[in-house]
Amino acid sequence: MTRKQRRLTLIGGGIGVLAIAVALMLNAFRDSIVFFNSPTDVVEKHIAPGTRIRLGGLVKTGTLVRGDHMNVRFDVTDGSHETKVAYQGVLPDLFREGQGVVAEGAFDGTGLFNADTILAKHDETYMPKEVADALKKSGHWKDGYAQRAAMPVGGPNK
Amino acid sequence: MIAELGHYALMLALGLSLIQSVMPIVGTRNNDAVLMSMAVPTALAQFAFVAISFLALATCYVTSDFSVLNVYENSNSAMPLLYRLTSVWGNHEGSMMLWVSILTLFGALVAVFGVNLPIKLKANALAVQAWIAAAFELFILATSNPFLRIANAPFEGRDLNPVLQDPGLAFHPPFLYLGYVGFSIVFSLAIAALLEGRIDAAWARFARPWVLGAWMCLTLGIAGGSYWAYYELGWGGFWFWDPVENASLMPWLAGTALLHSAVVMEKRGALKVWTILLAIVAFSLSLIGTFLVRSGVLTSVHAFANDPTRGIFILAILVCFIGGALALYAWRAPLLKQGGLFAPISREGALVFNNLFLTSACATVFVGTLYPLALEALTGDKISVGPPFFNLTFGPLFLPLLVAMPFGPLLGWKRGDLLAAAQRLLAAAVLAALAIAGGFALQHGGPVLAPFGVGLAIFIMAGALVDLAERTMFLRIPPAAMMRRAIGLPRSAWGAAFAHFGIGVTLMGIVAVTAWGSERIAALKPGGTIDIAHFRLTFDGTFVRPGPNYSDLVGRFTVFRAGGELLGAMEPSRRTFPARNMATTEAALMTRRLNQVYLSLGDPNPDGSVPVRLYFKPLVLMIWLGAVIMFIGGALSLSDRRLRIGAPRPAKAAALQVPAE
Amino acid sequence: MILWCIFAVMTAAAVLAVLWPLGRRRQRFGGGSDVAVYKDQLQEIDRDRAGGLIGDAEAEAARLEVSRRLLAAAEAHRPPDSSVATQRSLRLRRIAAVFALIILPFGAPALYVALGSPNIAGEPVFARVNTSQGSESVASLVGQVEAHLARNPNDATGWELIAPVYMRLGRFDDAVLARKKALALKGETATRQADLGEAEVAAANGVVTAEAKAVFERATALDPHEAKARYFLGLAAEQDGKTDAAVSIWRTLLAEAPPNAPWVGFVRVALARVSGTSAAPGPNANDVADAAKMSNDQRNDMIRGMVANLASRLHDNGADVEGWLRLVRAYAVLGERDKAKNAAADARRALADHPEQIKRIDDLVEGLGIKG
Repeated sequence: MTRKQRRLTLIGGGIGVLAIAVALMLNAFRDSIVFFNSPTDVVEKHIAPGTRIRLGGLVKTGTLVRGDHMNVRFDVTDGSHETKVAYQGVLPDLFREGQGVVAEGAFDGTGLFNADTILAKHDETYMPKEVADALKKSGHWKDGYAQRAAMPVGGPNK
Repeated sequence: MIAELGHYALMLALGLSLIQSVMPIVGTRNNDAVLMSMAVPTALAQFAFVAISFLALATCYVTSDFSVLNVYENSNSAMPLLYRLTSVWGNHEGSMMLWVSILTLFGALVAVFGVNLPIKLKANALAVQAWIAAAFELFILATSNPFLRIANAPFEGRDLNPVLQDPGLAFHPPFLYLGYVGFSIVFSLAIAALLEGRIDAAWARFARPWVLGAWMCLTLGIAGGSYWAYYELGWGGFWFWDPVENASLMPWLAGTALLHSAVVMEKRGALKVWTILLAIVAFSLSLIGTFLVRSGVLTSVHAFANDPTRGIFILAILVCFIGGALALYAWRAPLLKQGGLFAPISREGALVFNNLFLTSACATVFVGTLYPLALEALTGDKISVGPPFFNLTFGPLFLPLLVAMPFGPLLGWKRGDLLAAAQRLLAAAVLAALAIAGGFALQHGGPVLAPFGVGLAIFIMAGALVDLAERTMFLRIPPAAMMRRAIGLPRSAWGAAFAHFGIGVTLMGIVAVTAWGSERIAALKPGGTIDIAHFRLTFDGTFVRPGPNYSDLVGRFTVFRAGGELLGAMEPSRRTFPARNMATTEAALMTRRLNQVYLSLGDPNPDGSVPVRLYFKPLVLMIWLGAVIMFIGGALSLSDRRLRIGAPRPAKAAALQVPAE
Repeated sequence: MILWCIFAVMTAAAVLAVLWPLGRRRQRFGGGSDVAVYKDQLQEIDRDRAGGLIGDAEAEAARLEVSRRLLAAAEAHRPPDSSVATQRSLRLRRIAAVFALIILPFGAPALYVALGSPNIAGEPVFARVNTSQGSESVASLVGQVEAHLARNPNDATGWELIAPVYMRLGRFDDAVLARKKALALKGETATRQADLGEAEVAAANGVVTAEAKAVFERATALDPHEAKARYFLGLAAEQDGKTDAAVSIWRTLLAEAPPNAPWVGFVRVALARVSGTSAAPGPNANDVADAAKMSNDQRNDMIRGMVANLASRLHDNGADVEGWLRLVRAYAVLGERDKAKNAAADARRALADHPEQIKRIDDLVEGLGIKG
């Protein structure tokens, strides 16, 4: 086999495998992508019943109802709209009223979101940290920090 | 004062890294050995100062010095010593310090142990390593400084996140970082070789120990992270295709490909261009994995558009290093001479096959991980690419690789005989067929593919043994001669067989858990029983067990075999931290040989019943056992004396070893 | 001063590391080469051949290939020269030395002056235990209160007591929780609402969130004169970019302020920040001193609160000698000698059956110098 043939075999094989990979990915993208929506998106986009989505927001305080057979119902809110969610199973550790939650599932015909997976952030340190970072950079954290922290603490008191 | 010493040491390290990044290169350009030799003491001094800096930060954490902002934000004096120490790298600034510490550690290791490297290669590589170090030291000082102070130190630190207080986190991030950053040396060696414009078969041997070391640490780091998620998150999954996990898997795949292509380069001088590219890609993926995916820089650039300094800085570093390296590669690679010829069916061909599939699989993970980030940054649409995507893409690409794996080592160099290799694998194939048949006979109602998965795993494990048997002429020559051959066999051959065997072990565990694992969810009242697999659990009731700053609501279960034999007790709990209104699940595990019973509790229901999740995880320990075997294989390979050849000093030792073998 | 001396030593070490190779005149430059690798590969082929791992023909072909590489490598190998330093390389080395002598002793300190805080002393917790604050006893007191609250979650006074302590400790999320509990258990007042809002703001890193704003609005609805809530509503307006609204809220607040209200300084500082000195009297030295004094007072308030809690606990259960010791020490630290003496006397009564424990109390009293 000459050098040229060898190179052609290599390149041909490479392109072949790559083509398979691309075909697999396109196929998978068609079937397994799940869009993330907030309750407001749900209202605005008129998501069809049966389409799998991820619904994210805060668990609205006071709406968590635990029924029999580990059925749970609660509302997810983003401040402007709410969506009712039903779920059966054990809720994750960090699931709490007033905290962030992501539910995966689909709407039934009545506007109830049937979740089969509930995710509460298990890496909760990251989110607040970024907010804090943004603040840190906009403020003067080096020396001004103590004053800033003291401001709410030592604010008008009596 | 200790914090200030650390701060200043970091600045000195930055200065040293600037000198180290220029002088050795000027030396190689002018063939001046003195300037080249500056690389060694500067690399050592740089490491010393970064180490001082890191130790200073760690001291501040251990002594709970809340006048350091970073300590105040991420620690608390009430935590046990271990967690005060691990919280050093439990946050962005501290983990950057760990990253740079390991980076300079590797520079120092090359300076000390790289005695077999040609002096020009070594000088250039250390200079490139210093570019990376300088960029990140500057990044730390400018945007992520852990040594900022608070004038009036608060009484107590803020953050005490119970989820992160776990011994697992003491061990697994450092190993992951050792893996990620280990590839930096291989990257530096590749860039150094491109700068010099001369890349020979010998380069692969110089780079190989560093690739192996990084790969071993990464393997262990990934396995450790997987086990932590398994027992700590309370729902028994071992792999979630989470971006954080994918970030570590991508460099591992590229590193594995590199490990194999370097063999071809070393033996045959072929695939040089490709190997150098893989060396660049492996570290680039480490960088992308750590900084784009893990730190959420891409999304944070999007979210905090008013002040995205940190994100822009990181992006600039990534663009410089990855883009610069690829540009240099594109410029220099066409100048490289071609290596030896080989037929498609040969050891080389098998390794090319391995590389094609590994890199394609890596590419699918890359797309699946970064596509959501890119889409969100560009359009604001949030999508999730979950396990189904990866199962549909990664799975089919990995399958041919696994099937072909036992054949590779049995093929000859240059021109192999597939038929002969297949004949040698006959025993393994028969074992696999028996396993498939047995699987079908024993399985009731499991997935159809499961017995085939087990068969494949058996085939891989038996294939690795066949490879060893062939090389030692097992049962064909007298045992004494066989032992001599076994000892004479290069350690890297042993290493390869071990690593391949480990893959089979891990595959076996994954197949068994996915196909035959079972799950029960039920609400139990005291006295209730629940059955799973061949176990019966009786719920005896709950009691409260107070801890230092939490209280455990413990559920006590007695475990019986279906026949009635008492096996022991399991005590999963819900750990609540009253003042923080936080609860974590502490799952209970019962290990029976390689199987585990996994039990976790939910929040008690109003009617007094307690929801429990019960899993039977058959052969689950094999998943991580396989990774440990792979690590051992890597260690065997690393101990191969050939990797140390080329050093001028041990020449005498090498001469002594030859007759001994 | 010690700090700068250590810096100087560190810098010298770094400079030495750079200059050291430049100073060596003649030296052995080690370093491997490709040649050694290929020689080893040839040996390996011979070993494999001898061991029967490869055939003769294969061995021969491999040997040929490696030999070709060996020749090429030997040709390319040009050991770098150190003995004959050319004019050019001498100049380069000098540049390197100058470079090192500039960047390390000047660059690093310049950077440090810009970023470092040499005047802030380290305050590790273990060191503070021995100083006046005694933060370990703070931590253990907090722990006791937390344990008490875990057993009696409906003890409103307990929650109200611990909330300001959490605030001072920087555990703002816990403070929010405690204040919510107190609010729920004891009923709503303007002050409680304002305190809750303050904790929420602290927990959000100083940002007046929508929830916090609603809480402050509730507080002012209950009592239009609630100063803290009004201050934070002004802050909310400032953070929303409505500077004018903030200025007007704070001006009204100042205008209605009772004479000598401790918070006037704060509001003036805030007002000066948003409106510039021309629009409002700037913070003068007195105001700043007020502010500093206030946080000091608050710290003392906190300690007093905890000491009172400890005292009442010991009143109910006098058998805890450690508690007595802590109480006496705490009074002494607060400068209240009489109370310390009284507490010691109470302790002696409560521990009358345990002479060895009374001995400890006496020792402490002696050690603190409050005897007689």
